[in-house]
Amino acid sequence: MKRLISIGLAAVLVIGVALAVIFGRGGTEGTQLTTVRGVIGSEKLAFFSDQRVKDAFAKHGLDVQVDPAGSRQMATQTDLSKYDFAFPSSSPAADRIQHDHANSHTYAPFSSPMAVATFAPIVDLLTKAGVVHKGAGDYDVLDIAKYMQLTANGTRWDQLPGNTSYPVRKNVLITTTDPRDSNSAAMYLAIATYVANGDNVVNTPDQEAAVLPKVTPLFTNQGYTQNSTDAPFEDYLSAGIGRNPMVLVYEAQYADRIVRNDGSIKPDMRLVYLSPTVYSKHTLVALKSPGDQIGQLLTSDPELASLAATFGFRTQDPKYFTQAVSQHKLPLPTDLVDTVDPPSFETLERLLDAVGKQYGS
Amino acid sequence: MRTRLTALAVAALLTVGLAGCSGDQTDPKQPLGQSKAGVLRVLAGSELSDMQPILDEAAKATGVQVKFTFSGTLEGAQTVVDGKADGAYDAIWFSSNRYLTLLPGGQKKLGTQTKIMSSPVVLGLPAAMLQSLGWQDGKVTWSQIADAAGQRKFSYGMTDPSASNSGFSALVGVAAALAGSGSALTADQITAITPRLKQFFAAQTLSAGSSGWLSDAFQKRASGADPGPKVDGLINYESVLLEMNAGGRQPLTVIHPSDGVVTADYPLTLLTSANSDARDSFQRLTDHLRTPDVQRKIMDTTHRRPIAPQVPLAKEFTDASPVELPFPGTEQAVDTLVSAYFDKLRRPSRTVYVLDTSGSMEGDRLQGLQAALIGLTGVDDSLVGRYRQFHAREQVTLLPFSTSPGNPVTLTVDPNNRQPALDQIKQTADGLEAGGDTAIYTSLERAYQILEQQSDSDPDRFTSIVLMTDGENNEGDDLNGFKSFVAGVPDRLKGTPVFPVLFGEGSQDDMNAIAAATGGKVFDGRSESLSDVFKDIRGYQ
Repeated sequence: MKRLISIGLAAVLVIGVALAVIFGRGGTEGTQLTTVRGVIGSEKLAFFSDQRVKDAFAKHGLDVQVDPAGSRQMATQTDLSKYDFAFPSSSPAADRIQHDHANSHTYAPFSSPMAVATFAPIVDLLTKAGVVHKGAGDYDVLDIAKYMQLTANGTRWDQLPGNTSYPVRKNVLITTTDPRDSNSAAMYLAIATYVANGDNVVNTPDQEAAVLPKVTPLFTNQGYTQNSTDAPFEDYLSAGIGRNPMVLVYEAQYADRIVRNDGSIKPDMRLVYLSPTVYSKHTLVALKSPGDQIGQLLTSDPELASLAATFGFRTQDPKYFTQAVSQHKLPLPTDLVDTVDPPSFETLERLLDAVGKQYGS
Repeated sequence: MRTRLTALAVAALLTVGLAGCSGDQTDPKQPLGQSKAGVLRVLAGSELSDMQPILDEAAKATGVQVKFTFSGTLEGAQTVVDGKADGAYDAIWFSSNRYLTLLPGGQKKLGTQTKIMSSPVVLGLPAAMLQSLGWQDGKVTWSQIADAAGQRKFSYGMTDPSASNSGFSALVGVAAALAGSGSALTADQITAITPRLKQFFAAQTLSAGSSGWLSDAFQKRASGADPGPKVDGLINYESVLLEMNAGGRQPLTVIHPSDGVVTADYPLTLLTSANSDARDSFQRLTDHLRTPDVQRKIMDTTHRRPIAPQVPLAKEFTDASPVELPFPGTEQAVDTLVSAYFDKLRRPSRTVYVLDTSGSMEGDRLQGLQAALIGLTGVDDSLVGRYRQFHAREQVTLLPFSTSPGNPVTLTVDPNNRQPALDQIKQTADGLEAGGDTAIYTSLERAYQILEQQSDSDPDRFTSIVLMTDGENNEGDDLNGFKSFVAGVPDRLKGTPVFPVLFGEGSQDDMNAIAAATGGKVFDGRSESLSDVFKDIRGYQ
C-alpha cells in the first residue's frame, strides 16, 4: 500500500526529485521534467507508480504519467490521441495498435507467463484428480488438457472424489477476466485453443470453428467477469478461497506481492503454472517520439530493468530476473519449458469476438 | 443504529435539498455544479452516506472533497448509459457495477474501477429460530432455506430487486444456487427453477425500496413501534445486519449459505468522461481509502470487509471467506430473472390508491396524477419504468375521493393477457375529474374496508395503501378517529402500511402521523414529480 500512497504524492515528489537531480548533476541538462503520457495494462500500474521507477525516469528528465486500461480495450476502444505510448500486456494487442498507427515502433522490454493463483487445498485436490503435477523443479503445473476434460463434464468441486477440504457446489473453473476487454483472458484463450486444436496454434477458419465450442464454456460458465486483471487478483488476495479458488494471473502479479512482503500472500496461497503456457509479452507501442524514449529506456537502462525484475517481470536480458529471484528467494522457476505462441492477431481477434458474441453484445 | 439513521436522514435531506435548489439556479443537468479541482462529483448509492466521516477525514488528508448525489442502482445505471452522467459527475459509486456493465454501452462509460470494501448479501435469523430449524451449526444451503420458507417455518424481509442492490443480489444468488448447476445462471434455466423460487419467496412478508428502511422497519415491528406482524429474519447486507447487532436490540445470527452468496464490492469508478483534474483527485482519494489504516477504520465503522489484504478481518465476520456464487454474464439472464420475480415468483401485491380529486387538484396537479398512474401501465420503457409497472397477478384498486370516497375501481392483471387491466387503469385515470372537498381519513378507512373484503377470498398478498392528497382534511373523520379505526382493524390487516405522498398544501405533520400509525413511509411529491414518486413507492409494495 505504501507504493500506492506514493502515487498521490507523486506530483509533489517529482518536483523535489527533479530539483535533486538537477542539483546533484550540477544543473547540467534541462531545468524541468518532460511529461510523457501512457496508457498501460493495469498489472503494470504498481511498477510505474513506484517511486524508484519515477526517480529512474527523472534521471533522464522524464515524468511518466500513466492511466490503466484493459489491453484489448486499449487496442479497440481507448482514445489514444492523448497518449505518447500504449503499453498493453501482449504482442497481439500491441500489433493491433501498431496496425492502426502507421510509423509507430514497438519495444518488448519484459514478459510474464500466465499462471493460476490458488490455494494449497486446491492444489492437493487437483493433484489427486491428476490435473496438477510437479514441474521440472519444485513447482506445480496444471495440465490444461486434463483440466479441459474435467470442465467439459461440468464437474463441480463437491464431485471430486475424496474432497473434504473444499466441498463447494460450484464448477471447477479458473476465474478469468472478460475476454472482450482484457489481455489475460485473451492469453488464456490462446492456451485453451492450442490444446483444443491438438497441441497446435490455431491458424485456419476451420480450426477456429472446431475449437470454439470447446473453449467458449471456459468463459461463459463463469458468468459475469471483471474487465481488468488486477480485479480478480485483488479478490483472490482479500476474499480468499471462497470467492475464487483459482484465478488466472500473470506470474509477475504474484511475484510482485511476494517481493513486497506486506502480508498479502498468506501461507496457504500457491502459484501454479500452466502446461502449456503463453508468455504475455508486454509490448510498448510508441505513438509519439517521447514514447520511443520510454521504450528504449525500459529495454536498455539497467536500473529500470532491475526494477522491472523486482516487480516479477521476466526481463529481455534474463540476468536481471535471475538476480531478483535469488535476492528475494522467489519460489519461481527461471525456465519454463512448455510454452507456446499465441495465434496471430487476426485469428485471436476473431476467436475473441466469437466468444464475446455468446454474451449477447 | 443511530449513526446509520442519522446518516440516512442527512442523506435524505441532502438529496431533497439538492433537488430543491435545482429548480432555482443550479443546472439540473449538473446538480453538483461544474467540474472543479479538488472536488469529486460522485453519483452514488444512498447506503454510502455512512462513509461520510471517512470521506471527511480523507478530504483533510488528500485535499479531495467528495460531493454525493444519491440515486437508486437502477436509476443510476440508466443515468450512466443514457450519457446523462457525462459532464455532470466525475465518478460513480454503487454497491456493484455488474448490472451496469451488462447493459449495452455501460462498459464504455466506465474508466478505472477501484474496489474499496465489500459485503455479501446474507440471511439473518434469531439464534433460537436457527436452533429450532436445526441450523445452529450455520451450515445451511439456499435449497434448505427455500424448503423451510415454502413451509412457512420462518418469515423474512428483503428489498425490492429493482430498487435496491441487496434484494437484487439475493434474487440472483438464490436463483443461481437453486439452479444448482455450479455455473452461471442462464435465461433458459429460470423456468425450471420457478417452483422452488416461488417456495422461497412465499416466506417474504416485508419488502422495501432500500436496505436501510428495511432493517429499520424490521426493528420497529420487533419492538412493537410499528403495528405490523413481527418478521423473523432479514435478507440484507452482512454489514447492515452487523450494524443492527452492534445496536444490540434484536440480534440476528448471520448465515452465509454454504452454496454461496453474492457480494457487493463497492467499486469507486471514474467515468471515462472525467477530466484530468478529476482523474488526479480520484487517484489520490482511492489511494488514501485503500491504505491499511483507513481500511481498518472502514471495517470498524461500516462493518464492511476491507479490500486491502494486509488488514485482518474483525471477529464479527464469522465466515472469513464465504463461497461466491457466479453472477449471470448476460443482460438477458438478469432481465428474465427480475421479470420472473415480479410476474411469477414473489407474492403478488394488492394496493388501494386513495386519490384526492378535490377542487384544488384542478389543472396541472390532476394531470400530474393521471400521468403518474398511466406511467405504471407499461408506457414508460426506461429500466426503472419497466420494472416498476403493474405486474402480472397484481391487484390494483383506484379509489378517488373528494367530499366523500368515490366509486372504487378494482383490476387484477391477468398473467396471460395483461393489456385489458392496464387499459382500464389508464381509462380510469384519464376519467378522473376534480371538484369538492377533502375527506382524507374517511377515504382511508374506506380503503381498509375494501382490502378487508378483497383479502377474505384471497389473503396471500403484499398489501398496502397509497394516499395522494394536495390539501388538509376538511370533511369526514379526523386523525384521531382514523388512529382508533386503524387500531381496530382485523388482525390480518394490521400492519398494512399507508404510503402518503406529500403534495401541494398537504400537511406534513398529518402525513407523518398517518405513516407512523400504519408502519408506512412518507414520499415527497413536491421536490420530485409524482411519476417518480409513484415509481419509488412501487419498491415498497
